[in-house]
Amino acid sequence: MSNKRFIQSLFRVMKREVDSLVHAPIYWFSMIVFPLFVIFFFSELMNEGLPTDMPVGVVDLDNSTTSRKLLRNYDAFQQSHIVAHYSDVNQARRAMQKCEIYAFMYIPQNMERDLLASRQPKISFYYNNSVLLAGSLIYKEMRAISTLGAASVGSAKLQAKGLTQRQIKSVLQPIATDVHAIDNPMLNYNIALSTTIIPACLALFVLLVTAYSLGIELKKNRAKTWMTMAENKVMIALAGKFIPQTVIFTLVVWFYQYWLFVHLDFPHNCNFLLIMIVGLTLVVAAQCFAIFVFSLLPTLRMSMSICALWGVLSFSISGFTYPVTSMSPSLQILSNLFPMRHYYMIYQMNILHGYSLHYSWMYIVALLMFMMLPLFMLSRLKKIFYKYVYLP
Amino acid sequence: MIKIFLNELRRIFSDSGVLIFFIVVPLLYPALYSWLYNNEVVREVPTVVVDDSKSSLSRELIRRLNATPDLNVAAYEENIDEARQHIMRQEARGIVYIPSSFAADIHSHRQTTVSLYVDMSSMLYYKSLLTSLTNVTLDMGSDISVAMLNSQTAREEQIAASPLSYEAVPMFNPGGGYGCFLIPAVLMLVIHQTLILGIGLASGTAREKNSGRKLVLREDAPFGIARIILGKTLCYFMVYFVMACYITMAIPRIFNFIQLADFWQIIAILVPFMLATIFFALALSCLMQQREHVMLIIIFTSVPLLFISGIPWPVSSLGASFKAISYIFPSTFGINAFVKVNSMGASLGDIVFELRALWIQAAVYFLLALYVWKPKRWTQE
Repeated sequence: MSNKRFIQSLFRVMKREVDSLVHAPIYWFSMIVFPLFVIFFFSELMNEGLPTDMPVGVVDLDNSTTSRKLLRNYDAFQQSHIVAHYSDVNQARRAMQKCEIYAFMYIPQNMERDLLASRQPKISFYYNNSVLLAGSLIYKEMRAISTLGAASVGSAKLQAKGLTQRQIKSVLQPIATDVHAIDNPMLNYNIALSTTIIPACLALFVLLVTAYSLGIELKKNRAKTWMTMAENKVMIALAGKFIPQTVIFTLVVWFYQYWLFVHLDFPHNCNFLLIMIVGLTLVVAAQCFAIFVFSLLPTLRMSMSICALWGVLSFSISGFTYPVTSMSPSLQILSNLFPMRHYYMIYQMNILHGYSLHYSWMYIVALLMFMMLPLFMLSRLKKIFYKYVYLP
Repeated sequence: MIKIFLNELRRIFSDSGVLIFFIVVPLLYPALYSWLYNNEVVREVPTVVVDDSKSSLSRELIRRLNATPDLNVAAYEENIDEARQHIMRQEARGIVYIPSSFAADIHSHRQTTVSLYVDMSSMLYYKSLLTSLTNVTLDMGSDISVAMLNSQTAREEQIAASPLSYEAVPMFNPGGGYGCFLIPAVLMLVIHQTLILGIGLASGTAREKNSGRKLVLREDAPFGIARIILGKTLCYFMVYFVMACYITMAIPRIFNFIQLADFWQIIAILVPFMLATIFFALALSCLMQQREHVMLIIIFTSVPLLFISGIPWPVSSLGASFKAISYIFPSTFGINAFVKVNSMGASLGDIVFELRALWIQAAVYFLLALYVWKPKRWTQE
């Protein structure tokens, strides 16, 4: 076939695909409307970065100047907000079970008196670990306030003993720690989650739409005309069909990257061209993976089900939240079968931390391998398009 | 009604697409998910130590760090740059830097500072390393200050170093496990999503097969829409009740997640939750022109729905509009009711709000389904 005919038939198929994309509202929704919704949803949901003013309760049996001062200082902390005082622990616990509060601080009777008499009183905090994020953030603040409280009492006493400020500091906390959270110093959850959950959602759309648009050809009995248009060349048929989709999805991904890394100024330590290339790679790898799945299970419902399973599992098995290194070894191996896992590794190594590409070559190769998958399936796909009859 | 029920039952079991969502996914997915998170916590995070002090005190600190369950000293390096190489190669997740003045500072009663650098690719690495380092430095610090003060009695020394003590009591999930926190919410969400997908597929199929792309056939008409909907609901409810019991009762037991609720409490949540979800799905199915559309429309909502349920992200930090959206879906109340009763040991009295909301949703979506399923032409006739 001459080059000219090749290009002509490619364009014919592309035009056909563009027509069908434009005229089916479901494509508009699942390629543009829903993806944009997801982008805005997550970046807006966590725009505070860290939850602030989470409701906590207090059981203050001491009710002294010291305890009230302690609570006042605590209320000024950013993430906790005292919403209720309870007269006993049982009441506070019930409020916690109803999720009215995430934690409560218990101050025992006679705390002030015991403090002055050097009897080392003990305050307790109870926090809800079933809502893990709230629980652990409030725990951190409660611990900070009791350390500070202890320090202010301690320093008064040590001053009376004649120690200098510097000595007091070294007695109260001989070893201080100084923590550097590399590239996300504010522990911003938006930076940690939006950069991973949003692309995983976009990849899910790519997987589903690819499988759907292949399956619908068979379902509507249009596969044969499609192949004739492509001069019976599967490569042309696939390229013509998917290039328009690649363009649309890539533009959506680029918009997402613009929105996060430029508009919201999320940390990135590489130039924007690399970010864009990684985005394009994710789209194409996901498309090719879906084509591969379809060629193995050439029915609309089976290929879409597998793609859905893959896309939804990606959220967990890629290790955005619970790291892959802490999963069981067989799952660590399994995680390599998910394109999103490799995208995530490239994102955190090259984009977030800005390491050079030779540290992440394995993940780049893996994504390229996903792109090659359909090549092994060309003859099988041809058979499918010619012989397969849709059974509802 | 019985006829509708039997017809629907026959239809479900002859449609492999619906069976996938009614049987296969609910069986496999919760198990797979639980397996993912079954290790619960992040232990032995590999860490590089840069010890510029090289003193007996710094070695003591390293020994204590290595003894904690969450931190593992994977390598020693001479400087930060070399230590960073380990992080770039993903062999380590953090660096502990002990300055050269460490021992001298402590001996001459000056406060010294140990630095920690954490790779932020996962918040859980940060949490593990920070907790280990804070606990070890506070512990070792109080030993040091006791030795420093030369007081009369040991007790006096202890009190001078920390006049106010505290204890922290993590409730309901004492180990801080990731699975125990996330899985209960995911389980309810699986029920919610697979029910909607299965019902959406079934009604999409009906629409494709019936003449004129109608949800309901003419010959079923004499039964009345209410009876058609109730018949179908009964069928879905019976098939799915078994799966829901497996998901909410067997899975937590198999994977050793917290389970405080008893059988009847779970039933009291499941009944309104499933009814609300089924009616919601039936009302939604008017949107499905093709059976596969339901997958394109519903699957991606899983993660947003999980987030606005208030479990991964505290509900107090959800904006008003997000909260309003979350009230539309039965999943929000189902997840909260289940987590409160099952993980936090609340009684049914404590979740009256959620149960009431689910029953209201069931009623509203039943009426909506009635309205949606009523073919236009009948009203004209």
